Amino acid sequence: MRRVLLMLAGLALLAVPASAQTADEIVAKYIKTVGGADKIQSVKTLRKLGTFNGGGGFEAPIVEENKRNNMVRQEFSLQGLTAVNAYDGHTGWKIEPWQGKKDAEPLGEEAMKQIVEDSDFDGPLVNYQQKGNKVEFLGMEPVEGTDAFKLKVTLASGDVRYYFMDTDYYVPIKIETKRMIRGAEREYETSLGDYKEVSGWYMPFSVESNVKGNPNRAKVTYQKIEANVPIDDTRFHMPAVNASAQPGTKPPDAADTLPKRTDEKKTPAKPPTKP
Amino acid sequence: MKTITSCLATIVCLCLCTFSAFAQTPQPTPVKVDSETISGLGARNIGSAAMSGRIAAVDAIREGQRLTVYVGAASGGVWKSVNGGTSFKPVFDKQPVQSIGAVTIDPKNPKVIWVGTGESWTRNSVSVGDGVYKSVDGGDNWTNVGLNNSERIAKILVDPSNTNNVYVCTPGKLWSDSDDRGVYKTTDGGKTWIKVLKGANASTGCSMMSMDKSNPQTIYAGMWDFRRKGWTFRSGGDGANAASGSGLFKSTNGGANWSELDQNSAKGLPAKPWGRIAVAVAPSKPNVVYAFIEAEMPKGGLYRSDDNGATWTALDRSANMVWRPFYFANLIVDPKDENKIYKPDGPLIASNDGGKSFSNISGGAHGDFHDVWVDPNNSDHLITGDDGGLWYSYDGGNRWWKADNLPVSQFYHVSLDMDMPYHVYGGLQDNSSWVGDSAYPGGITSSRWENMYGGDGFWMFADPSDPNYIYAEYQGGEISRINRKTHESRNIKPLPLYKEGKLRYNWNTPIHLSPTGDGTIYIGAQFLFRSRDHGQTWERISPDLTTNDPEKQKQEQSGGITVDNSAAEMHTTIYAIAESPKDPNLVWVGTDDGNVQVTRDGGKTWTNVIGNIPGVPKNVWVSSVEPSHFDPGTAYATFDAHTFGDMRPYVYRTADFGKTWTPVVNEAAPVHGYAHVVKEDLVNKDLLFVGTEMGLWVSLDGGKQWAQYKGDEMPSVAVRDLAIHPRDHALVIATHGRGIWIVDDITPLRSLTADTLPKEALFLQAKPSVQVIPAGGGWANGDAAFVGPNPTDEAVFVYYQKKRHIFGDLKIEVLDSTGKVVGTIPSSKRRGLNRSTWPMRLKAPQVPRAATAAFGAAIGPRLLPGTYTVRMTKDKQAYTTELRVVQDPRSKHTADDRRAQFDLAMKLYNLLGNMTYSVERINNVRLALEERAAKLPATDPLAIRLRAASAAVDDMRKKIVATKEGGAITGEERLRENLADLYGNVNGYEGRPSATQVARADVLAHELGDIEKDFDAWLAQELAGLNSELTRKNLETIKLLTREEWDAKNAQK
Repeated sequence: MRRVLLMLAGLALLAVPASAQTADEIVAKYIKTVGGADKIQSVKTLRKLGTFNGGGGFEAPIVEENKRNNMVRQEFSLQGLTAVNAYDGHTGWKIEPWQGKKDAEPLGEEAMKQIVEDSDFDGPLVNYQQKGNKVEFLGMEPVEGTDAFKLKVTLASGDVRYYFMDTDYYVPIKIETKRMIRGAEREYETSLGDYKEVSGWYMPFSVESNVKGNPNRAKVTYQKIEANVPIDDTRFHMPAVNASAQPGTKPPDAADTLPKRTDEKKTPAKPPTKP
Repeated sequence: MKTITSCLATIVCLCLCTFSAFAQTPQPTPVKVDSETISGLGARNIGSAAMSGRIAAVDAIREGQRLTVYVGAASGGVWKSVNGGTSFKPVFDKQPVQSIGAVTIDPKNPKVIWVGTGESWTRNSVSVGDGVYKSVDGGDNWTNVGLNNSERIAKILVDPSNTNNVYVCTPGKLWSDSDDRGVYKTTDGGKTWIKVLKGANASTGCSMMSMDKSNPQTIYAGMWDFRRKGWTFRSGGDGANAASGSGLFKSTNGGANWSELDQNSAKGLPAKPWGRIAVAVAPSKPNVVYAFIEAEMPKGGLYRSDDNGATWTALDRSANMVWRPFYFANLIVDPKDENKIYKPDGPLIASNDGGKSFSNISGGAHGDFHDVWVDPNNSDHLITGDDGGLWYSYDGGNRWWKADNLPVSQFYHVSLDMDMPYHVYGGLQDNSSWVGDSAYPGGITSSRWENMYGGDGFWMFADPSDPNYIYAEYQGGEISRINRKTHESRNIKPLPLYKEGKLRYNWNTPIHLSPTGDGTIYIGAQFLFRSRDHGQTWERISPDLTTNDPEKQKQEQSGGITVDNSAAEMHTTIYAIAESPKDPNLVWVGTDDGNVQVTRDGGKTWTNVIGNIPGVPKNVWVSSVEPSHFDPGTAYATFDAHTFGDMRPYVYRTADFGKTWTPVVNEAAPVHGYAHVVKEDLVNKDLLFVGTEMGLWVSLDGGKQWAQYKGDEMPSVAVRDLAIHPRDHALVIATHGRGIWIVDDITPLRSLTADTLPKEALFLQAKPSVQVIPAGGGWANGDAAFVGPNPTDEAVFVYYQKKRHIFGDLKIEVLDSTGKVVGTIPSSKRRGLNRSTWPMRLKAPQVPRAATAAFGAAIGPRLLPGTYTVRMTKDKQAYTTELRVVQDPRSKHTADDRRAQFDLAMKLYNLLGNMTYSVERINNVRLALEERAAKLPATDPLAIRLRAASAAVDDMRKKIVATKEGGAITGEERLRENLADLYGNVNGYEGRPSATQVARADVLAHELGDIEKDFDAWLAQELAGLNSELTRKNLETIKLLTREEWDAKNAQK
């Protein structure tokens, strides 16, 4: 019994009191827990295949692709139509096919801000100083019954995120995001869970997000996350104006599933993968 | 990572070892039940903002061109708008108190906000605060920076020349003596405080304060001597001419020294004694100072000085200037015009002539005003707060626009009916008695709440014996029976007998409905009355059950300088009535002066059992009595001693009809705030709920452990009453400051016990899931309207986890009776209770790709009612529970109707799948034709023939799907669009489909079949010839996509 108590005392020492923590220590422990800087750096691309659940029985397959340093493509499919948001480090663009228009268009202010944040391959905490982000430790705040370290992350853009890090494992379990859009704050909450290993890097396979205070949550569950799959840069570039829209070609056919002709613009290295 | 894994393993092992070591001790400590164990069972706040609630303080500032507004609710926290009021968010919800007295924005930095907690409009129902809070980030985070024992704060001033200098005007404790009152100052932004102005005695604090902003060392402070007791109130001394500590003070050196301004030192001021004082320096001309002084008439009223307080002139003393100073003592001078003054009172009154005369500018606002903000850039733009919420004027107060987005309503009580969905009934502070929907298609807008009576509202019930009628009351026992449709009301208050004098009805007079449901109703004055005929006749079934202490019956003298006998101080009255659900002859009564009386013979004989309750202070309010639903001898009671300055909760239980009592909330329990209500669950006798001034507390084990309920961020707001719906198992929470909150199903709490809590994870029983009738409703309300959310229309299941789930899968699937997986659900991960939902729908049908999305077919058919199994896989451990899905009891559809609907939906669902295959099959051939053609020179006759074949095949495809691109409304309908529409319509109505729909399904199937036949005919005629030509050219022949191949491809997805 005495031995057990001694060990318990040792454990208690391991649990560093909140006041003794610094933002850097918490971030360092986070990086270590999820695999370490080397493992993270060794991952050059990510492809995440998942399901979006919007409530009420509405589900859709999604694909997210990230490529270092800051390219990202997000797809959302319904009835064979695929919406795209993408960013190649310079240009953010989208395709919203639902009403029959399939051209790529520039992203609006809010979506652009979001995708630039999403393009940060390993998240704003990793190498935060190099990225121009600022991290402060604000103290303890419980998240849904679990003690958490609250970090204030001021992104280089000036927007603020609060990261709530589990005190046992130092991984984020909740993120609150504030974005200034047209001069007004937009606030979102994201809950993270089901961390699993992908090429030595632990990442959340369950992500739920909502407008802060709104009980309706968009829930994403990833079935598969692949690391270091080849993804051609063209996947992230904004496509040129559709050849079919040029004069003299055949009438546009939104429902056409045929591949593009070889004489048209270079095809993607790999067609969009559906889960 | 390996290191970490092994480290984790060590910790786990250590914990296990430790656990087994402790397991040898006879009584293991029970698993701690805290707030988060239970709060995963979320609550929804249904408001309402229709009546809203009392606003105590307002401040606003321009950030750029936009107006940021902070609103301090009397008992509902701080609300922030960054768009001039179009939308608000509560920013104070995580703080331990919700009563607000003062809100001040730093004039130099709009991100720095000071909040004084504890309202200073000291009506009988006023709440309490715990000091000064500061935010440096626009309200995101708050720090309590001190003055914790001040209880209430009237004003905070920030020195614009050095914003670390801040002054706090604190009236201090209302119910007891205290030194924590007066004017406090910090010079280091709130780190340290010194008292710079002390009251003349232990009941005198600061009631209002004003600064010369051009010379911030100059400060005026009104000091106020006041005290409230359960039965009396004094503003000033005990009577119009009794000694009072009230006075007006001025400092010209930042509070270091003060000189008193009175009849002797400042000519023109009235003779003392004084009561409450308000003071305001004109911002545009600071030598002009106004003071409202409560004094015996005709001395009381408005005074003005034009020489920095040296001499004064008496001005307006109209009724609305001098009315109820304890509730209205604020003056606001226009920022640009020293002659324009606002005085919040019953009406809002304004002067344009320097205070000589005032006009009522309340317009259509509610009344009982407390604060006004005047836009420094545009004096026509006003914001005011009153007992009915927040109001905007854009024409200098001629007309008012109501804020319909502040659900800070102050309920006293709540009751429910048995309608489906049930209605919520309750009365509110100065806001009458309302009926609201607990659910409504499109959400619970303000228009889903209906006012049924008037005055201040308290208890309110639907008459169970005639649901066309409602009982409601206003203050002082003015009970009426009201026709729900015509609103005709009939006063049925029991009246005094010959020479009896006054019946003593409490401000918040108890009305009680017999749980027998036979329509028997009780009301209490000092006697208990019972009616069995809707109030036509009343039986007096008790003697005077109170202490009948004549010292507590002098309300005609109450008020201090200004008599105020509104029934708010009526005392020695009955305050709680409860008939036992186990025995209609067993009735409990609690009084506001500390008696607990019980009769076991329907009122013939009464026993006062208060002497049997150890530890309850003498003569305190018996705020509620709750007879057990399980055992006639058992009852619970709450005692509220806050009117004696004791804020602790007192909750007791008896199991022997009151002979002996034991505390249910012991001293070590985390419960705090004075107790208003205790409720025993209807099913599990160990599940108890206690509402206090600081929130809702739950015990799962009969009172051994308590935890605060904070589901869905429900703040620490006063919980005045609770109701449990016997059919729907909902807990309905009446808050005094944040409206009604509903926990839709408390069934899971009933099985969260000492046995289940130590388990790693388990499912808890929930009520059967109702397939709510699919219905749309509501319309665009704009962003400036509060809309209460509905309960989910999905199936709900609840599980418990001892720890938050962070690593690995937490997978949840639903299986039908055959064991087939019919749904996969994202899981909730939190520690304690988790609530997840399943839409009860199959996956959406496959729909052929076409020009536009067919949103009508974006969701699958809702499965039939029945019993399903939920399987949770957490790491490798599987847990299962049964999920009962039932038809909406309101639905008139028979099981056969529903089956017919489901079958037709499935037929169309499968037809959409077949259609998708057909299109894919055609496309597959087209793809091959084009691909082979591309391998030949363009002029090759075979290439030309292949392309022609492709075009012919494509014509068939275009008969199935719409193909016109462009994003315009093309109106193009093909079979797919027709079929998806039909599917959507059949899927959206769960009764028998129309004959037209049934016939149309066949028509569409037939038409699709025709095209498939055409394609097959074309294949039969053309494919063999094409393939032999391809073979001749050494090109691959064209193979057809078989249904098996296609199904296999889909299964992979």
